[in-house]
Amino acid sequence: MQTKQRNKLILNPDRRQFLQTSGALGFAAATGALPQIVYAQGKKILKVRAYADMRSLDPALSQGITDEEIHSCIYSKLIQYKPGREWGWQLDAAESLEQLDDTHIKFKLKQDIMFTNGYGEMTAEDVKYSFERILDEKVESTNKPDWGSLKEVVVDGKYEGTIVFDEPYPPAWNIALPYIVGNIVCKKAWEEAGGRIDTTTPCGSGPYVHKEWQPKQKTILARNPDWHGGTAAFDEIHIFPIDDENTAQIAFESGDIDYTRVSLSAVVNLKASPPENSTVEDYPSLYYVWVGMNVENEVTSNQNLRKAIQHCIDVPSILQASYFGAAGAATGIIAPGLIGHREKSMVPPTADITKAKEYLAAAGMDSASVTLDVLNKAANVTTAQVIQATCAQAGINVDVNLHESGAFWSLGDKSAGERYKDVQLILNRFSMAPDPSYATAWFVTDQRGVWNWEWYSDAEFDKLEAAAKANSDQAARHQMYQKMQDMMEESGAYRFITHEATPVIYRNTIKPAFRPDGLPLLRNFSAA
Amino acid sequence: MIDILRRITREPLGMIGLVLVVLIVISALLAGVIAPYDPIELRIVDRLQGPSAAHLLGTDQLGRDLFSRVLYGGQVALKVALISIGAALGVGVLFGMIAGFGPRWLDNIIMLFFDTIRSFPTVMFALATVALVGPSLETVIAVIVVTTIPNYGRVVRTQTLSIRSNEFIKAERAMGASMVRILGVHVLPNVIGPLMILASMDIPTVIALEAGLSFLGMGVKPPTPSWGSILNDGYTLIRNTPWPIIAGSIPLVLITLGFTFLGESLRDLIDPKLRKNI
Repeated sequence: MQTKQRNKLILNPDRRQFLQTSGALGFAAATGALPQIVYAQGKKILKVRAYADMRSLDPALSQGITDEEIHSCIYSKLIQYKPGREWGWQLDAAESLEQLDDTHIKFKLKQDIMFTNGYGEMTAEDVKYSFERILDEKVESTNKPDWGSLKEVVVDGKYEGTIVFDEPYPPAWNIALPYIVGNIVCKKAWEEAGGRIDTTTPCGSGPYVHKEWQPKQKTILARNPDWHGGTAAFDEIHIFPIDDENTAQIAFESGDIDYTRVSLSAVVNLKASPPENSTVEDYPSLYYVWVGMNVENEVTSNQNLRKAIQHCIDVPSILQASYFGAAGAATGIIAPGLIGHREKSMVPPTADITKAKEYLAAAGMDSASVTLDVLNKAANVTTAQVIQATCAQAGINVDVNLHESGAFWSLGDKSAGERYKDVQLILNRFSMAPDPSYATAWFVTDQRGVWNWEWYSDAEFDKLEAAAKANSDQAARHQMYQKMQDMMEESGAYRFITHEATPVIYRNTIKPAFRPDGLPLLRNFSAA
Repeated sequence: MIDILRRITREPLGMIGLVLVVLIVISALLAGVIAPYDPIELRIVDRLQGPSAAHLLGTDQLGRDLFSRVLYGGQVALKVALISIGAALGVGVLFGMIAGFGPRWLDNIIMLFFDTIRSFPTVMFALATVALVGPSLETVIAVIVVTTIPNYGRVVRTQTLSIRSNEFIKAERAMGASMVRILGVHVLPNVIGPLMILASMDIPTVIALEAGLSFLGMGVKPPTPSWGSILNDGYTLIRNTPWPIIAGSIPLVLITLGFTFLGESLRDLIDPKLRKNI
């Protein structure tokens, strides 16, 4: 759920060859020798950047969005996310999909969807196998929670089946069917491979096939000539793992890649003078950034102190300094456009030092000293310093502790030692899927010391969390999730900062396709 | 001392080195007087400005005056360099003399200890230590002390071994002089010269290491100004403004040149093989 992986390009002969080739191609493109996207050896190739390297081709073992960008190209799902500015889905392998009642979803597959490498036609048995294996303890899927209360898939015919849940699970439409666990694999091929695969796949059914993986250099997908959806737009897609956004931008400007996400700090300049023949677009993001306060810690267990800190933190200053004015203030953990989003937070974004001092006095303190643990990334360090400065105005001294990735992500983990007890304030950032249940799940009592590093615990919150994800009434869900965020904020353990933003840049020779949060849907990319 | 200074200033490179070092030391010591702004005061409306009369080196992403931060960053750099080199020198001299003058088995143990420390790549050792105990100025100093001790210890040991067999040492021992007296009165004055050269050459290395750790966010804690953290801010903002990178680089280049020139001049003066008739 968090961004942990770091990759570096290794200068070996292949890399050198890549640099030479891409440099030559970049030069050619820059000088107008290549009017279209890259046609190397007569091939139409899309070159894109991913922030991390591929880790697994098995949907059950997918490590998140970077793997899913590949999986969605090589596998089919019953439904796929619909490109655009609003969340929605469109049919893929399913000819029809219908919610029969709160716990049953009926599907009918299109006929003649063929798996590659001679594994035959996709049937309802493959759908059953694909979904149920995620629940299988032997597979040890890290993505099992995405299927919620899935009980089984009943096969009703060669192409028809029914997805059965133990209790209503509306998030299935948002984070299961069109996402990681919704990928359909071939039962026969997977059984032959022993039930799970690693970084090669026996077969697929999407618009592209996995051709090659050069660790930490690139992943190559090639057009699947037998794709049921028609003809894929590109002969090949080359995906380059580039961790650093500045580096990715340089790669884009030099012509090495056709699309990348860029850093927020670059947006103003890029919009003012975009590279020739390219477009910059802003998308809202689903990520949520907040300052958490450990309610069990000796110092921050004082609720009035926590509330004082909430009022000390000036969100507009942080947005300006750390996010270059390119991101808006968060009202909670659920981003705009999703069920449960609040229009306003209870604590206004602007700091109120007078109120902070009142809470500090109510806490029985003239001044206080707390620690703030921060992942060592530029935006976080800047945010921490803004917090430090505004808290000082109220007499609260904030001692900033920077941590590298490995140390940071074990800070609140109770299985990693006793350090979680020392956490007082923590600047945190979680990724998110397009369903509110994906946000609130980490803050229930059971998650204390796992992902709930604030040790926030409220029986009513837990009850609401369980009820909301099992409620089919969207209006009721909306109110429940809003209420949950109210409770989080009232506890004083959370100060919501931002959902960030997703600025992207792409060459005008391609027609990209994005989810509403700006993440790429590579299978839908086409030539302009 | 005055004679040494006079002779250094006669060498062009020595003179340049001395001027640079004095300039940086004075500007760091007088940062509180010279700096036009509080180096940690945020003025977000003034962020990312280029050089001007108001801000000689511009401002960073939080609107802080870069010139003021560079001056105060000098205090951190010198503090780290002087404390850590001083401590490493003290411990290195002690262990080096014990190894050189003591029994063979003790010499072997101390050498094993030195070799063990030297076998760790310094930066990796620093990163591991910071990951374990957290970043702070004290951690940086401790890492530098531990990794620098063998440099001095080995030099002192070698010098001690060559001196211990001299006739005058044997005579002192025959007259019943204590080991402490022999080491303090006879050995130490003979090894201190080469150590001074080594220390002056090590200062820029240590400052660069501190800056490197701060660049990686493993050095001093925010908001304390450090040349490395200024460079790090500059790296992330390189596409917006080059000034933080320039502001963080200038003092590192100057102090490296200054101490290197000064150290080389000192070496030329003190080392009999290289001594010039100046």
